[in-house]
Amino acid sequence: MRNVTQRFGAFRALKNVDFDVHHGETVALLGENGCGKSTLVKILAGINVPDPESELYLDGRPHALPLPPGEFRDLGLSFVHQDLGLSRTLTVVENLTIGGLGSTRRRINWRRERSRAREVLRSYNVDVDPSATIDQLPPVAQALVAIVRAAEDLKLYRERGDLGHSVLFLDEPTVFLPDTEVEFLFDLVRSVVAGGASTVFISHDLSAVRRLCQRAAVLRDGELVGEAQLGQVSDNDLVEMIVGPAKQTLVGRSQRRTLADDVSRRPVACEISDLRGGRVYGVTLSIHETEVVGIAGLLGSGADDIPYLLFGAQRAESGTMSLNGHAHPIAGMTTVDAVYRQVALVPADRRRDAIVAPLTVGENASILVNDRYTTAGRRIQGRRLNARIRQLLDRFDVRPRRSDVPIGQLSGGNQQKVVLAKWLEIEPRVLLLHEPTQGVDVAARAEIYRLVREGTEAGMGVIWVSSDFEELARVCDRVLIMAHGLVRSELTGNDVTEDAISTAVYRYSTDEGAMLAHAS
Amino acid sequence: MSATEPTTQPTTKPEAPQATPGPRPRRAESAQIAVFAERAALPVTWIALIVVYSITASSTFPTWSNASNILGSQAVLFVLALAALMPSLTGDFDLSLGGIMGLTAMIAGVLNVNDHMAIGLACIIGVVAALAAGLLNGFLVVRCDTNPLIITLGMGSVFTGIIYYLAGSQTIVGVSTSLSKITFSDKLLGIPIEFFYGLALMLIIWYVSTLTPLGLRSLFVGQSRDVARLSGIRVDRIRWGGFVLGGLLAGFAGVLFLGTTGSADPTASGPYLLPAYAAVFLGATTIKPGRFNAFGTAIAVYFLATGVNGLQLLGAQNYVQQLFYGAALVVAVVLSRQLRRSRT
Repeated sequence: MRNVTQRFGAFRALKNVDFDVHHGETVALLGENGCGKSTLVKILAGINVPDPESELYLDGRPHALPLPPGEFRDLGLSFVHQDLGLSRTLTVVENLTIGGLGSTRRRINWRRERSRAREVLRSYNVDVDPSATIDQLPPVAQALVAIVRAAEDLKLYRERGDLGHSVLFLDEPTVFLPDTEVEFLFDLVRSVVAGGASTVFISHDLSAVRRLCQRAAVLRDGELVGEAQLGQVSDNDLVEMIVGPAKQTLVGRSQRRTLADDVSRRPVACEISDLRGGRVYGVTLSIHETEVVGIAGLLGSGADDIPYLLFGAQRAESGTMSLNGHAHPIAGMTTVDAVYRQVALVPADRRRDAIVAPLTVGENASILVNDRYTTAGRRIQGRRLNARIRQLLDRFDVRPRRSDVPIGQLSGGNQQKVVLAKWLEIEPRVLLLHEPTQGVDVAARAEIYRLVREGTEAGMGVIWVSSDFEELARVCDRVLIMAHGLVRSELTGNDVTEDAISTAVYRYSTDEGAMLAHAS
Repeated sequence: MSATEPTTQPTTKPEAPQATPGPRPRRAESAQIAVFAERAALPVTWIALIVVYSITASSTFPTWSNASNILGSQAVLFVLALAALMPSLTGDFDLSLGGIMGLTAMIAGVLNVNDHMAIGLACIIGVVAALAAGLLNGFLVVRCDTNPLIITLGMGSVFTGIIYYLAGSQTIVGVSTSLSKITFSDKLLGIPIEFFYGLALMLIIWYVSTLTPLGLRSLFVGQSRDVARLSGIRVDRIRWGGFVLGGLLAGFAGVLFLGTTGSADPTASGPYLLPAYAAVFLGATTIKPGRFNAFGTAIAVYFLATGVNGLQLLGAQNYVQQLFYGAALVVAVVLSRQLRRSRT
């Protein structure tokens, strides 16, 4: 691939990236969350449309980008996407069949397909019921089906014989797999490579990368920052390539508390013990009043699940949350309970989960508290409520200052300020933030940091989950590092820096991988 | 499945960092005119229709007796449309409302005529049955987490089957005239009194749905279940409430139907469902464009009634009614979809 650029609006996810894969090679593609690895893969799968100057060569021959959907099959490429790319409501047989259907005109003989699928699965030693739908399978089995499908595609390409090459792309395949299955995956990759194909392996797990790959290419902020023969670099050098040298902080100033202001002397706002559910396998933490606690972790570390578990939006298996001296069980709690207990959640997917785009700014901002502004006849007193909304728009600097426009017409940053205003109205004891500045411009980001910090003045504690480590370093008093469902480390005081967070996240995610490797 | 199509697909495109839009007075002004035009479109079309009919059928259409006929004879449809509005507000569908209406009429009719029960008690039992039907729909759709379209389609057929069973496939005639008296024969300002029942119900719904916290919460549930749930709103309870109130109002419609026709015909309630939904969707294009609303629904009911009435006075055949109602529903849904798209 030559000179690949991908824009999303004004944001460039990839900047003039050159990337080569040689015959029979296993190459690692490394980088932080959001550095553009998956974007690159999606261009080759024909999902993303790159900028026109981007080029693709296979065996020296140019191919026009964007690739039409399905074209990758004719080019000898096969994929295991990060989200696996399976049809969740279809059966295993159907998912395995889709890629291999030669002619669209012939009738499908389902009985034959079923027995063929059973044979194929058996040949890979994968024990999965071919008639089950993907939804019914545990995540590990789902991942195995996706991997088998990709490997079968490759076999098909080889049998066809008209291709001089074939490439398997694995995007974060080890996230879903326990160590025994990781070994299965590696064997599979080795046999694929022995058969003459190449593999591109995308992973955060450096020890897995070392065991499998000869060469690594590193992306940072959409740019190719380096390539290395894995035999010749240390882990530390690799981590530095991935994370980058210490960056200068950009706009604005830190919103962290001064060191003299010792938060541990303040009363505890919230105590969480033995939280389990999703990918979280037992987390205990306590938050002091006015404290902002960051949680950092890679995809699959469990960090992403914590806000939703604590809000009752995702089912927890166990755990208690103590607020104001009362211990509440987290398993079985609902979002209604959460709001009643003054726990607030700003979710990551704003358009789906946080705003109702066609409703007005005022309606969105006041939905939690409009019953405070009613007469005896339960009628909302429009004038009193509107006065309050106007105050909020001023304080949160929402532009335009109009409560009667549909919130969908505002920019991302202003939408997020309204969401924050809505939640601060219930005077939360705990505010849960998940990627609160995604799709938010730099200026609004700084304001959101300030507004959250202002909100803590009343005693609110904050849990801030973000994959933007610079952000965590700027706002958090304390940062917890999560890997494999557990809190592995804690950074406090002067240790809360972007570098320290990145390094710790990669170290703990990798060490864990290394430990598993030794165990197996 | 929600009655309003989802407008907020999770977008993969991150929003570009952009300057916040400052005040742009001219754009805002033209936008305000556009909003006003949207709001007024249906009432203006209605008035235009009245003017055209008054000219083309000048001897029969613009008379007080015809106007009172339209207002009175469509009261059943008016109340049934309000029933259909209830689940629509909370983002659901109930296609069994026509069946529930017929069931209430049939139960009350059979109890009164065959079993000689007092008409008042017979009607109360009929309405209780309607309430139970709404509860059952709510249980099946909300608690069992199923597709409301399919479930209520099935339940509608179940209710129709029960109607035929109760009626022995015959029309029940000879319902107590005291019911006809308090629905159809008694008049206020020359208009059958049942129209004012519908009007009162409409005003109550309007008040609750637009001016109270409960109404706003229902609005959030109807527009985005995810956001409502993550705002601590009791989504299931509100959706269930939509089905129960829908059933109750369909029961009221059934009582008015029994009084208006003086009989319980097992086939008669079937054709009411489609125009009721046509009115609900057409109503969502006016007054508060893009939202289901009670005033809009009322205007739409009488817009449809006026259209059909005028065509019939001009000598059109019966098929015109089907044609007009069906076309109105399709046009209304397309229009409201366009409205929602331009809004986000």
